[in-house]
Amino acid sequence: MKRRGRGIACMWYPIGFTVAANPSAALVKVNEDGTATVLTGTVETGQGALTVLGQIAAEELGVAADDVHVVSGDTDATPMDTGAIASRTTYVTGNAIQMAAAEAKKVLFEVAAPMLGVRPDQLEARDRKIQVIGFPQKYLPIGDVANHAQVVMGRPPLGSASYNPPTVAMDPETGQGKPFSTYVYAAQVAEVEVDDETGEVEVLRVVAAHDCGTPINPTLVEGQVEGGISMGIGLALQEEILFDEEGRQINPNLTNYIMPTSLDMPEIEVDIVKNYDPTGPFGAKGVGEPTSVPTAAAIANAIFDAVGVRIHSLPATSEKVLMALREKQGKQKQIPAE
Amino acid sequence: MDVTITVNGKTRGADVPPETTLLTLLRSNLGLTGAKLGCDVGDCGACTVLVDGEPVNACLMLAAQADGREVLTIEGLSDFQKLSPLQEMFELFSSFQCGFCAPGMIISAKALLDKNPTPTVADVREALSGNLCRCTGYTKIIDAVMEVAARGGATAERA
Amino acid sequence: MVIKVDDALRTDRLAELKEADATAVPAVAREGGRAPQIVPDANKQTPAVGQRVTRPDSRPHITGQTRYIDDLSFPNMLHMKILRSRYAHARIASIDVSEAEKMPGVVATLTGKEIPVNSFGPSYQDQPVLADEKVRHMGDGIVAVAAETEQQAQDALARIKVEYEPLPLVLDPLEAMKEDSPKIHGDSNIYATKVIRKGDVEKALAGADLVMEGRFSTQMVEHVPMEPHATIALWEPDGRVKILSSLGRITLGRADVARTLDLPVNRIQIVGTIVGGNFGGKNEITTEPVLALLARKAGRPVKGVFTRKDEFVSSTTRHPFIMDYKTGVMRDGRIVARKVRIVADGGAYCSWSETTLGKGAILSVGPYRIDHLEVRAYAVYTNKTTCGAMRGFGAPQVCFGYESHMDDIARELGIDPLEIRLRNVFDEGSSSPTGQVLHSVAVKESLDTVADRVGWREQAE
Repeated sequence: MKRRGRGIACMWYPIGFTVAANPSAALVKVNEDGTATVLTGTVETGQGALTVLGQIAAEELGVAADDVHVVSGDTDATPMDTGAIASRTTYVTGNAIQMAAAEAKKVLFEVAAPMLGVRPDQLEARDRKIQVIGFPQKYLPIGDVANHAQVVMGRPPLGSASYNPPTVAMDPETGQGKPFSTYVYAAQVAEVEVDDETGEVEVLRVVAAHDCGTPINPTLVEGQVEGGISMGIGLALQEEILFDEEGRQINPNLTNYIMPTSLDMPEIEVDIVKNYDPTGPFGAKGVGEPTSVPTAAAIANAIFDAVGVRIHSLPATSEKVLMALREKQGKQKQIPAE
Repeated sequence: MDVTITVNGKTRGADVPPETTLLTLLRSNLGLTGAKLGCDVGDCGACTVLVDGEPVNACLMLAAQADGREVLTIEGLSDFQKLSPLQEMFELFSSFQCGFCAPGMIISAKALLDKNPTPTVADVREALSGNLCRCTGYTKIIDAVMEVAARGGATAERA
Repeated sequence: MVIKVDDALRTDRLAELKEADATAVPAVAREGGRAPQIVPDANKQTPAVGQRVTRPDSRPHITGQTRYIDDLSFPNMLHMKILRSRYAHARIASIDVSEAEKMPGVVATLTGKEIPVNSFGPSYQDQPVLADEKVRHMGDGIVAVAAETEQQAQDALARIKVEYEPLPLVLDPLEAMKEDSPKIHGDSNIYATKVIRKGDVEKALAGADLVMEGRFSTQMVEHVPMEPHATIALWEPDGRVKILSSLGRITLGRADVARTLDLPVNRIQIVGTIVGGNFGGKNEITTEPVLALLARKAGRPVKGVFTRKDEFVSSTTRHPFIMDYKTGVMRDGRIVARKVRIVADGGAYCSWSETTLGKGAILSVGPYRIDHLEVRAYAVYTNKTTCGAMRGFGAPQVCFGYESHMDDIARELGIDPLEIRLRNVFDEGSSSPTGQVLHSVAVKESLDTVADRVGWREQAE
């Protein structure tokens, strides 16, 4: 018989390296027509980092995503970066890029100010314009300013910066300290159906609410959550590297290492929790790793809700679930009637 | 041995050792690197191409078996300027992340829509079950395929 | 002349962002097949933050034009294969490559002795680039062969003669912690310890209404990036080496290559091309120094791509965790004390174990306000595949532990699982297990959001 259940799990996860310095450096160049090029030493591994980093630079310069080109991943041509790891890219590399763009923007403001008859601190960059705060009718197109800066004033608008999250070392005896600059939080609920005759668990639905600070690109955040949940399902129910007694892997291939296919994925609903972190670029934090953290627990809790067995070790294969069910039934038979 | 195939509408051939797979022929001899080597034993689907309209794991087919047949690879679906409807939706939905599974995934989706222009979500899951993706959780991929179906099928593609 | 600026009219973009709505993906739209989340002109909109921008690198990916490393080819390029260990724990008595070098197409071979500094690792450099004295798991590479074709390189591996002196092996981390266990490195298999203590956990446990215990464990899993590790090395005419690699962190990769090859940093260029999935498994060097040395020996570019089996057997995996939880609670559901013991199975080498252990330990208490706690975490060597960084650095494991445990506690007390969490989670300004004042906290909001979506409170008794 198939029984349904649901389980909830919440989590917290840090951004960046534990205490250790993990800086990122960035360079932003505004071209003669107001478009921009960003140089970053990070590497695009599929998460859309270059897109998000381009959006951050674009926001700072008041232009659109299409106006920014991101160059990455060459130790000769791009500045150092600690890497696409520990969910740090949006926050650490993003902060460096925002600061570098602000430096380049300073040059634009210094060049535009006399042209507009105001001080540089009266200017803002918005909608591809350098305009006067409080009197936006007075503006210059960013392309005009950038061209004037480089070609007439001889000051190419260039900015460079680096960022490292502020931490405090942990005491070796007690672990007390400030190991990370910021954390993200999330909760997931899993709805499952358990066949109490075979032990098979099917995940029907996963609902996820993730805090990532400001979502720079909501589509890419959703993509991370959906992908993370698929890894969480694999961890919960399917995946395992098995060894024989000589230390040889028994299943080093995709035939026998079971991981989620399109048939294993449930309906997924993603909510991005409203939050803003003032220490991150435009309030953003990160989301790459947290997404697969709560899923296995939510599924394990849902299994308990469905059939009353607590799985203590992952993966919760059908054999394990069935064995736990039989054990429970055995125990129930042994309890003498009151 | 000589092998001749019609790939993406063009007749191409090469002289290859008999044990050469179709995947190696495409990637190494014909310079079509869209189909990927993910596992070499037909488990992951990253090498999916169409042979006479049917989706096939190119790593499991010998080049000799493809001799004289019509092969469609991802490169044949579009050029840089004009995308097929499936590719357009993949872009709009961000249905890929690292992109490695995307060519095989798109080919499998095209094979489905060619046969069944109004699939259900379950049909799509079934059709893509041989294409592994580690990044996306398949969710936005299914969204894109369903959207193409809802907009009237993959009719604007180049052969 | 004084210029007046009216602050009331100042546009405050940051304030706008603070007020922006979260964007949810409603399930209803998905069932109907139409999704409202496409914004075709998002890339041209200002302001840029918050836009559903489509990726600028999407065209190459979806048209099959992206050049991953295995799609690249250089003139005169050779292919590398690596002979891996036959034993999970053994001394290497001798290595004889003479027969292999005579095989057709073979241009160069490499053993560990030829590597200037044959050790690497993100925290402890306890791992050889190519094993030359001892092998500690079956993924250890011993000899690399560069040949005209992959098949020729593979065929040559069969002609390499390695004499092993097998050693007793240990596969279970709890066994490996014992005094009399076979030792994999040095005198002890416990190679990292993390302790976090706050308050007086024993006293607080004694004062609790209820003490619950539970053991939870997780398995070894692999990243399974769809793209296997791939690297090409070539020497430029100016004497610098260029390495194209699927590494996710090229600055550190360059430093590793400089160290192992004993070269100045500025003579090395690492190019991180498009990577087909990482998830933590491509965060340290693997064959980069080997390919560089082979390319120098052969005077030709050399490419090395992991097979799917290499990915499983030789690249890093996620640490299996054994977690013992002991929690003191009051009848009303408040947690007053928590003790955690973690044993992390680290496999044969340290890799990212220290980081995983540290993060796992900090997170293991859960996102809960607990004044009295103690965490003891140990990383242990075993003769299995090296465990390294994998999406979460210990977080998925400990979350399985603390959230399963939380539900057990909830049931024992007769309190709804959602309610007990809401009573205990962090607030803005709460103190973390390490005494840090937390800001930008959103656990309650996350829980309430999912609860509302599934109608949790409506369905609860």
